[in-house]
Amino acid sequence: MIKLIHLTKTYRELRAVDDLNLEVKEGTLFGFLGPNGAGKTTTIKMMAGVLKPTSGSVLINGMDLAEEPERVKKCIGFIPDRPYLYEKLTGAEFLKFIAGLYAMDHASSVQTRIQDLLELFDLTHWRDELIESYSHGMKQRLVMCSALLPQPKVLIVDEPMVGLDPRGARLVKDIFVEESLKKTTIFMSTHSLEVAAEVCREIAIIQAGKIIARGSSEELRKAAGVDGSLESVFLKLTEGKRIAHATPLSAS
Amino acid sequence: MLVVGLAFWALLFGLSFRVLKYFQSVEVIGELLAHHLLGMILMVFFSLLIFSHIIAALSNLYLSSDLELCHACPARLEEVFLSRAIYTVIDSSWMVIVFGLPVMMAYGVVFKPGFGFYVSLSHMGLGVTLIAGSLGILITMILVRIFPAQRTRDVTLLLGVCGLGALYMMFRLLRPERLVDPDAFFTIAQYMAALQGPDSPYLPTHWMTETLWAYLSRSSEKEALFQSSLLWSTVGALTVINVWVAEAIYFSGFSKAQEAKRRRAGKRLLDFLGALIKRPFSTELGAIIDKDLRAFFRDNTQWSQLLLLGALVVVYVYNFSVLPLDKSPIRIEFLQNEIAFFNVGLAGFVLSAVSVRFIFPAVSSEGPAFWIVQSSPVPLKRFLWTKFAFYLFPMLVLGEVLIVLTNHLLEVTPFMMALSTGTMFLAVFGIVALGVGMGAMYPNFNHQNIAQVATGFGGLMFMIHSAAFVAFIVVLEAGPVYVLFMADLRGAAVSGWQWVLIALCFSAVLFLMTAAVYKPMKMGLKALSRCE
Repeated sequence: MIKLIHLTKTYRELRAVDDLNLEVKEGTLFGFLGPNGAGKTTTIKMMAGVLKPTSGSVLINGMDLAEEPERVKKCIGFIPDRPYLYEKLTGAEFLKFIAGLYAMDHASSVQTRIQDLLELFDLTHWRDELIESYSHGMKQRLVMCSALLPQPKVLIVDEPMVGLDPRGARLVKDIFVEESLKKTTIFMSTHSLEVAAEVCREIAIIQAGKIIARGSSEELRKAAGVDGSLESVFLKLTEGKRIAHATPLSAS
Repeated sequence: MLVVGLAFWALLFGLSFRVLKYFQSVEVIGELLAHHLLGMILMVFFSLLIFSHIIAALSNLYLSSDLELCHACPARLEEVFLSRAIYTVIDSSWMVIVFGLPVMMAYGVVFKPGFGFYVSLSHMGLGVTLIAGSLGILITMILVRIFPAQRTRDVTLLLGVCGLGALYMMFRLLRPERLVDPDAFFTIAQYMAALQGPDSPYLPTHWMTETLWAYLSRSSEKEALFQSSLLWSTVGALTVINVWVAEAIYFSGFSKAQEAKRRRAGKRLLDFLGALIKRPFSTELGAIIDKDLRAFFRDNTQWSQLLLLGALVVVYVYNFSVLPLDKSPIRIEFLQNEIAFFNVGLAGFVLSAVSVRFIFPAVSSEGPAFWIVQSSPVPLKRFLWTKFAFYLFPMLVLGEVLIVLTNHLLEVTPFMMALSTGTMFLAVFGIVALGVGMGAMYPNFNHQNIAQVATGFGGLMFMIHSAAFVAFIVVLEAGPVYVLFMADLRGAAVSGWQWVLIALCFSAVLFLMTAAVYKPMKMGLKALSRCE
């Protein structure tokens, strides 16, 4: 469902993403881990069509993002790390706006879906309030509503748990698992190793723009030669380039 | 920007210098006019200073994001208040002072007062600024006590814009140009009464005017000393009063400002308007138009400027109704139509000024939420053309209203009416496309206030291009219009070569207008596609 081929992004002298190759199958909940500045957000922005790659390509559902951006974007739901929204719209108006952008024409079914999503994310009481009065967590939940509204085949998520309270975080984890069971492919970057270990079927670790390891939690443990938690695996794998290069990429 | 600032400064100085020189040459009333003008200028600056202090104090004392850190510091409340108050005074008064200086310098150059004038100008200018600052901050603290800070900004802005609009209209309708033409008054008493402005011996501007005038007219300097003492004792008293009031109500107001953020939106009218306007468009474009409409009318800093625009239109049209055409030595029929033709250029400049405020920031108004458009299946090209379509209709209405009403007042020929309305109709397409396209070329998605976008480098570039576009149209049409109009007036035929020239000029106008629509939109799209 997702294929990244020789994906590269450079900012002047800095190579933020360096010849990345990755394939994610349909219905997979894929965790994308890495230390700060490793290139996670840059990769995700290129996948969402917000950032233009220096070279390489992004294929979603068999279509090239550079060649057919509109068709590809119709399949994608994007949740960025910071929920910047139109502050002068209400929650319900914002979702109607998103439905419009995705050309969801059937007014009654759109209304029902908006109502269902607002209920799911516990925002029904705030539907007619201006977004400028929402808290960070509420804005984050509204962005998730908007990403799920067009029922995308691929969900691209950057740091979804930032700003969410424990109840919100639990809710999001459950929804992601449920969506992946419905064959939605979810590509999620996160700092939270607990979240990755709990919900992701597959994990890739990126460092200095390159994928240094990939596989299930168990496979990563084996590759790192560590028997403990995912945290110790992560620390071991990202502690230095020597180990990073020695890490087998057989899983990819 | 520095060059533009210096040019404006020089222009202001030159203008003030010429006016004062003229006053000096007028016997009996010349000095009186110069004295009166000084009082009026200081009064305008004083009012502007109070208003800008209210706005700045709201941000700096109540809404700024670093205030939480300031209040969490182990500092006394008076220290926090005073430090922010001083910052507010500096923040909101430098511009008025900078633009006031050339006028005051012109007084200095024309009247050649002694060194005492400049000393008084410095210390009394500072004193008046501090009084305006203290009053502005005091009013803000009281307003926040009554309304929540978020609402106070809206209420103040709205009142301010209404006040400015009313002041502008009132000033224009008083026809100040008559003051330099005493023949327009029946009696000298009537003239003297018209000269009496809103002045009072209790106003700080009166104290400053009298002090400066004492030096300018070389009269008693004892008067100056008395007025200075009045001013500085008021500064001291107001500072103490401000600190007392701050101790009593500042922190509770700040605390209240943090709480009052929940806002319900007015919906029904916008639902109706949105449904009406987006009807001819596709679902995607309709969604963008509907969003822009709601965002515009819910932002008080945006829609309230429509009131100023209304005042501008009224005054613009009014100016044409009081033109003294009958006093001109040129044939009235020729003059009416000549003015109507150049009015196309003038109205074009007005539309450019309106566009720099409303249309140029249209792309930047997406702010940091622009990622939503970027990641959506709507192509950027369609997004840009939607912005164009959204602003085109209101601008067409504004442009045609200006042209048709003024042409009606000028009683122009049907040919001139058709030519000017047609030219304006097509020119609006170019001005709107320049605004949207250049706004996309110079986007600022991280602005704190959308008004900042218009005053940046991109806004200046837009103004230059838009003004040049309008000027080119007027220049290209001037020749053919003259030939056709004079032929019509004299009942003579237009020669074959003249027809060729006319066709060439109008073709060039059409080419220019087409280029003004497509080129900036294309360049804007290219720049926006590269935007990361």
